[in-house]
Amino acid sequence: MDLMLILPEFILAGLGLILIGVDLAARQSKRPVVIVGVLGTIAALAAVVANYGQEPTDLWGMQLRHDPFASFFKIVFLIILGLVFLSSGEYLRKHRVRTGEFYVLITLATLGAILMAGSLDFITIFLGLELLALPSYVLAGMRKNDIRSHEASIKFLLIGAVSSAIMLFGISLLYGAAGTTNLQAIAESIPSLAGGQLALLSAAGLFLLVGLGVKVAAFPLHMWAPDVYDGSPTPVSAFLITASEAAGFAVLLRILFVALPQLAEDWQIVLALVALATMTFGNIGALAQHRVKRMLAYSAVAQAGYVLVGLAIATPAGASAMLFYLFVYAIMTIGAFGVVIFLSNHVPADEIKDFIGLAQRSPGVALAMTILMLSLAGIPPTAGFFGKFLLFRAAVDAGLVWMGAAVVLNSVLSVAYYFRIIRNMYLREREPGTRLAAGIPITVVLVLAVISSVLFGVFPEPLVGIVSAISFTP
Amino acid sequence: MELPLTYVLGFSALLFGIGLFGALTVSNAIRILMCVEIMLNAVNINLIAFGRYLTPEAATGQVFTLFVMTVAAAEVAIGLAIILMISRRRDSIDINKMNLLKW
Repeated sequence: MDLMLILPEFILAGLGLILIGVDLAARQSKRPVVIVGVLGTIAALAAVVANYGQEPTDLWGMQLRHDPFASFFKIVFLIILGLVFLSSGEYLRKHRVRTGEFYVLITLATLGAILMAGSLDFITIFLGLELLALPSYVLAGMRKNDIRSHEASIKFLLIGAVSSAIMLFGISLLYGAAGTTNLQAIAESIPSLAGGQLALLSAAGLFLLVGLGVKVAAFPLHMWAPDVYDGSPTPVSAFLITASEAAGFAVLLRILFVALPQLAEDWQIVLALVALATMTFGNIGALAQHRVKRMLAYSAVAQAGYVLVGLAIATPAGASAMLFYLFVYAIMTIGAFGVVIFLSNHVPADEIKDFIGLAQRSPGVALAMTILMLSLAGIPPTAGFFGKFLLFRAAVDAGLVWMGAAVVLNSVLSVAYYFRIIRNMYLREREPGTRLAAGIPITVVLVLAVISSVLFGVFPEPLVGIVSAISFTP
Repeated sequence: MELPLTYVLGFSALLFGIGLFGALTVSNAIRILMCVEIMLNAVNINLIAFGRYLTPEAATGQVFTLFVMTVAAAEVAIGLAIILMISRRRDSIDINKMNLLKW
């Protein structure tokens, strides 16, 4: 077995342990923790990239699989981790969150997400899911003196535990129907099923869909998401909205494309309706918000709806569009949360009206936020526009014109609330306050986010080439 | 005579139903955690029964059960820690009273 192929996982697991030690050693300043965290993430990222071109291989008795699909998601998760590390340092100090514990937990959660993306067996999927979920419950409650953070944590824990149990019940039924937990073996056994086994299979599909639907916050199981993302510490919200949801989608893609492709006609229509309802309710919910993080949370629900469109199309083109969208969405969202983090380091920044006059106080940050909001809304020539365009094209090519139309109409709807922030920053005056200067780490995050949102919109071909080369079936 | 598989499955489905009903209706956070444990036990019974009746030569179901139990223990440990943190702050773990974050 080739140990090199699971090097990224080893590096992250080791990084988690090393960070505990570094945190103990660094008593005064926590800067060493940040530096070790960022360096470790870069090392893991380098290992993933170095392994990218290797032949697809089964590892550890077919529990894990190395292929471009897994590597792509690993890259997404590690970029998210690195950006969260960079943007969180000052926030953690100012809001009295324990730096060491935060870094260790978020590293381990990322390891869970990476295992989810790389697994081809329900046992490993379950373990990865829990390794992602358990640290997340704690992370949501890391602001120990903030009662809202407590509430987010307990809600997340209870919803997460119940949804895991529902998903596990589905897995156990699937195991009963197919006699195995391996996704490929399940796919091979499905044509020979009959009678009661088929009933088990459909029940299993229902439980799985509900369990994973909660994880990716799909309508009507999305109500927990705004509460949790609003109450959690802002860097944690950024991580959960991007990494946790992307991991859920990675698993959904694997299950639907590898294990249950013969049933595509059955799950396609269900997912299409769920996608439509999710984006519409997300956008309508976001319109009504006056708190920034809550608005971004509802917009995340809407974005999950767009991504589900890619899943519902059930063609490789749709899945490729989904990967493209997940990648650019993760970077735009981390950037937007970076701005919220930056603002909340200096002034209270819970409300959308706290953005009033930001253009005078910090023109650079306001410009970055504008570009990110335009990209999230899907205005050309940004990456968000091109991602939605790919989804639209895939939907139309698959004959689902109404889904493409739903994406377009919804992105028009979403413009309203994204522009509210831009209007507050530029068009509304307030008594001149002190100028706010961004620190180097936040600046790096914002510059990276802005550059990629513009770059992948103007020159999308390289990324499109990468995602369309990824095969979804082993 | 061997117990038919359907009896075992019916039992586990009943157990899961009780757990899910409890988790959705009870308002005490610790009770919800206990209900989740009942649901997970239903899963374990399913896994072991399927393993025993359908694939007696492979140990997949039993191995999976061990993992489920381990993770459930970790989940409860974290859950109780979070509940403890909350009860110190507000003297109540009634989730109906946790309504700061809404809409």
